[in-house]
Amino acid sequence: MYKNVQEYLEKLKKELEGADPALIQDALSDAEGHLRTGLEEEIAHSPGLSETEALKPIIEKYGSPSEIATSYRAIEPHIAPSLAPARPQELRSFWARFFGVLAEARAWGAFSYMLLALFTGVIFGGWALLGGFISACSLLFIIGLPIFGLFLLSIRGIALLEGRIVEALLGVRMPRKPLFLKKDLGWTDKFKALVRDAYSWRSLLYAVLLFPLGLIYYGLFGLLFVLSLIFITSPVLELVFHIPLDLFGDNVFTPVWFLPVVCIAGFILLPLTFHFAKFIGKIHARFAKSMLVKK
Amino acid sequence: MVDITDANKKFQKELNSGIAALVLLGVLGQAKDPMYGYQIAKFIETHDEKIPMMKQGAFYPVLRSLESSGLLESFVNPSVSGPPRRYYNITDSGREALKSWIGIWDQTKAFVDRILKEKTDV
Repeated sequence: MYKNVQEYLEKLKKELEGADPALIQDALSDAEGHLRTGLEEEIAHSPGLSETEALKPIIEKYGSPSEIATSYRAIEPHIAPSLAPARPQELRSFWARFFGVLAEARAWGAFSYMLLALFTGVIFGGWALLGGFISACSLLFIIGLPIFGLFLLSIRGIALLEGRIVEALLGVRMPRKPLFLKKDLGWTDKFKALVRDAYSWRSLLYAVLLFPLGLIYYGLFGLLFVLSLIFITSPVLELVFHIPLDLFGDNVFTPVWFLPVVCIAGFILLPLTFHFAKFIGKIHARFAKSMLVKK
Repeated sequence: MVDITDANKKFQKELNSGIAALVLLGVLGQAKDPMYGYQIAKFIETHDEKIPMMKQGAFYPVLRSLESSGLLESFVNPSVSGPPRRYYNITDSGREALKSWIGIWDQTKAFVDRILKEKTDV
């Protein structure tokens, strides 16, 4: 017998202990959405009913926490993050692995993430800084409290959206459902819960950090990618289009005997860039997971 | 001695694991508008026996699995009274899959019925 929805959710969380935190967040979000909708309907139907009484038949139909935990655990292995994980066996030769990175969806995903980071970083980070500043200033007035609350809510929305991007491009399981605040709380209590929740602050910090990170990722990987393309096409650029590479000073053409070396360097730099993007993507995904999943 | 109730439960559970996906796809295939989890569960409840065949909570992970396979798509809409709701919609590949799943289901049903009902000499 559960006194309220919160008690059920705590039991469910306990049953899911050890599972992927993103899975736990989704399972809790599903259960909370269902139970609260059911509860509302039940109480509207028979107004005198207490929460505990109204909840009993709903939970009976929904399933016990252990049953629900089992269902989620059974399905989870079949739900792969958007890009399939890297092949476990690496039987290919060194060179096949080195150049094969250009055919890996994961590497392209990570590389796209690095370029996209400019926009997400500027938009999310910009909003976190600007919105944070405005709402913090508005706290001087009484009207500032709801504005600050709305700002924190928007940051949680951004955290969910960024999580979806990270899962799609970096292939790491992230939450798919939004977190709810308890429905039966008043406005002040909702605000307090929002402010006290470390998740709101971690999301805010992540959004702020994404601003410089986005610029660095975009600048670094954009530069490496463009450089490798220029190197690869250097013989065509210099000999056909007469555009100097300026490798040896301003407006200076590369000696013809050196062009094959530059071209080969480009062919090596390109896969190297993708290996590097994969590596940074892996580290960033870990960082995102530690910041954007409710503990 | 084997506990028949436990064996029944286990058998039902094993059957449900495959059927749930077909039932959910079937419901959303007939729905005119996108539906949210609770609404789907309520709809299924009206077609269920007195003792429900499936726990409603078990539908949600299946919905997510169908979505990740591209057979369903979803979006979140705020609700006036409660927490935001995730609405599910069947995709074109979902409709195609449903068609072939119904075919597979009919074949399976006919096969099992033939084995169980026909009086043949073994």
